[in-house]
Amino acid sequence: MLKIENLCKTYPNGTQALNGVSFDVQEGEFLAVIGLSGSGKSTLLRCINRLIEPTSGKITWNGVDVTAATGKEIRNIRRQIGMIFQQFNLVKRSSVNTNVLSGRLGYVPTFPSLFHVFSKEDHDRVKNNLDMVDLADKIDVRADSLSGGQQQRVGIARALMQEPKMILADEPVASLDPVLAHSILKYLEKLNKEFGMTVICSLHFLDLVHRYATRAIALKDGYLVFEGLPKEIDDAQFKRIYGKEAERIEVI
Amino acid sequence: MGLEPSQTSATRIINKLLPLLSILIPGSSQTLIKKTWRGISIFLITLILGYLVYWSYDNYEIGKAQINADKAFSWLLIPLVLFYLWNILDAFLLANNKKSSVLIAVLSASIILYVIGWSVTNVKMERLITRFDDARIVMKKLVNPDFFSTLQGEKIVVCGWDCLWDYSIARINGTESPDVFVSDNVGRIFGQKGTITAPTWTVLFGKATKNERIPGFETGKIVETIAIGLMATLFSTILAVPISFLGAHNIMRRIPGGTAIYYITRTFLNIVRAVDTVVWGLLIIVWVGLGSFAGVIALTIHSIAALGKLFSEEIEHIDPGPVEAIEATGGNFFQVIRYAVIPQIIPSFLSYTLLRWDINMRSATVIGFVAGGGIGFFVLETIRMGGYQQYAAALWAVAVVIIIVDYISSRWRFNILKDQPQKVDNIPTWKKVRNIVYIILGVIVFLYCWEITKINLKYLFDPGPTFGRLLKDFITIDLSTKVVNNVVRELIITTMQALMATTLGGILAIPFSFLAAKNLTGKSKFSAWIFYITRSVFNILRSIEALLYVAIFVFWVGIGPFAGMLALAITTYALMGKLFSEAIENIDTGPIEAVTATGATKMQSIMYAIVPQIAPPFLSYLIYQWDINIRMATIIGFAGGGGIGMMLSTFFGSLQYHKAGTVVLAIVIIVAVMDMASAKLREKFV
Repeated sequence: MLKIENLCKTYPNGTQALNGVSFDVQEGEFLAVIGLSGSGKSTLLRCINRLIEPTSGKITWNGVDVTAATGKEIRNIRRQIGMIFQQFNLVKRSSVNTNVLSGRLGYVPTFPSLFHVFSKEDHDRVKNNLDMVDLADKIDVRADSLSGGQQQRVGIARALMQEPKMILADEPVASLDPVLAHSILKYLEKLNKEFGMTVICSLHFLDLVHRYATRAIALKDGYLVFEGLPKEIDDAQFKRIYGKEAERIEVI
Repeated sequence: MGLEPSQTSATRIINKLLPLLSILIPGSSQTLIKKTWRGISIFLITLILGYLVYWSYDNYEIGKAQINADKAFSWLLIPLVLFYLWNILDAFLLANNKKSSVLIAVLSASIILYVIGWSVTNVKMERLITRFDDARIVMKKLVNPDFFSTLQGEKIVVCGWDCLWDYSIARINGTESPDVFVSDNVGRIFGQKGTITAPTWTVLFGKATKNERIPGFETGKIVETIAIGLMATLFSTILAVPISFLGAHNIMRRIPGGTAIYYITRTFLNIVRAVDTVVWGLLIIVWVGLGSFAGVIALTIHSIAALGKLFSEEIEHIDPGPVEAIEATGGNFFQVIRYAVIPQIIPSFLSYTLLRWDINMRSATVIGFVAGGGIGFFVLETIRMGGYQQYAAALWAVAVVIIIVDYISSRWRFNILKDQPQKVDNIPTWKKVRNIVYIILGVIVFLYCWEITKINLKYLFDPGPTFGRLLKDFITIDLSTKVVNNVVRELIITTMQALMATTLGGILAIPFSFLAAKNLTGKSKFSAWIFYITRSVFNILRSIEALLYVAIFVFWVGIGPFAGMLALAITTYALMGKLFSEAIENIDTGPIEAVTATGATKMQSIMYAIVPQIAPPFLSYLIYQWDINIRMATIIGFAGGGGIGMMLSTFFGSLQYHKAGTVVLAIVIIVAVMDMASAKLREKFV
């Protein structure tokens, strides 16, 4: 479904965030991306939907060359790939309704959307998706009056508006406490198992990887250092990924 | 780069010799040892001070010290040499990684600047006293504004406070007294019955023909001023919003060629902003003729540039997260702006617009000096006729309006910036009705303002006959030695006016600011009164633009730079007093408590617990005010306050546009340079 070949990214300041990363993602997988802060996880995810321009390499998505797509084509690819962010990236001053509706922007014609005109179907989709994340009663409140966990659920609802085939989740639970982390990941698990969406999710904690992921890859200094099943990450692998000084810690 | 033990002997020798470079070129060695800004500043300051000493001696014989009958020199060379020697010492100390105090540099530079400043702004402090009788006459008229009149025989005379007092005593006692009534002057300021040119709506409804004079309500000058300020704010906001997107780097780099547009927009905004509203007024009257409309355009142009810059910066400071999120959903450029950018910038845009409204109202009170229309024009007329009591009434009206505007603006800004989350949809019906009423009221006010500021878009596309000449002359500005020399002289005087005014106003403000700080005074009933009185004095003085004060000082100390400097000092005193006292109110009370606990007296606790906390903000405010004063000093001449403004108004008055062009260019340069310098300085201190 998704094929990444020899992906490299060098930032203008000389930082090499990705160094020849290659891997495949099969349909229906829950792929965890692990690694230290600054290992290139965020860059990798953002290269997949071209929020960041890769320096070289090739990304193929359902047979389409993402790296070669231009303008309209890239927006068409993006709308099939939902994205969830560590900082939620909601417009804090807008209502939950507007935030969720904005997930539909890739589908609607530009002109009406500039005046906040959306079809009845889109409004129904908002209700359904908010139901899915159990926030139906919050539709009219401002995003910044919600708690962190609720804001992330709005983020998920917004991604669902795209009716995506795949979801990219960039550290979706790093800003939340462990209990909320499980609740958010359970929603992602549900989307993965019940709706068959492919999920690529970067995570910090190994036990979350063991619990939710079907497969894992690990990055270190921009290199792919591990690819396999979560249970294959033994102590030796762990030290390779996180460095010699690292200790395993457990959360809940 | 310092001297470390591991360095080779070669680098050590270089480091020993490097400071010698500063003997040849001041500041060069400092630059080479990575103290770039210090080095460049030393170099530039040496040049400027050197030129000033030479120039002032050559033109005014400032600092002339006679050695014998035919030999003389400027004693200002002594501090100049001192500065130069300090530069060498500084280079040596810094090269050896030692600390170097700037005290000598600041002292010697100050001596040069203030001696020259004192002379060229023609400071004659004794005049404040020798001509005090003249001042007393003006002061008496100022405190007895022309609001009420009474009859003295057949003649209508102004009824001041003593007359009002007699009148009320007579009324209470039931004795006979001449009638007291509201003056015509009040009608001219606030509005009165009279004949007017038929307003558009009467023409539309067929009740009058175009340009017919019909009986009606004459608009008061202060109402006209309010309308000018409102219209300028509205137009400039509407126009600044799209421009601000062109000047925001994070938006423009998304589209091809955007970075170029960004730089062009920003440069353009900076140039337009450097020219004061009043100077824009001069250019605009050539285009559309005298009147309120010219005032609206002048304010709008300057305001677009100021708002455009602030708006752009605000767009650049948004949270990039939502932009990323909307992009990830497949939204295009316009959808990203509509859903990720606009919702984030609304509160700050509203707040800046309100702030600008406040500023525009102040500018509207003076734009009439050059553009006609509004209270400024009224003030100009009353001064020309020596009607100081009418002038005083206008000042009081301005003060009241500006204080109210200031209050509304800051109150609304506070509420907007709090930006509390609330339900966005489901607005109750009464609120919907209220909003509709507001909108209708807004439209009515808008149409009324349009009418009384005589906005005529046709004039915009039909520039006056001399406008073409003005443009041509502006491109071929006069750079002949004589003109340039004159411009440089006035420019130096203007800058010195700003410097002297900032110093004088700032020094005066310091003691009073302590009285106006609520945490120091305001404990007992008596000191609470001191607090309220000082604060009120600050607020009243602050609400009137320096240009409106000039007339008082022209009468008092005579026409010229000294009068202008004193007018600037008054506004400086008021604004600094307010800002200083707020800075005092914001200090940390912990140290005061600690010092008081040691048994210190009030003075001691001020010296040891308060002064160290307030010195940095005070300095920063002073530099900020100096920047404002430079701008104000460029226009102070329009009312007889000397400096480059006087020159500009003369050139414009005599239609010498190519010379006026030189002056405008000089103003743009000096304002831009001082703006940069003050920003750099404030960055360093705060």
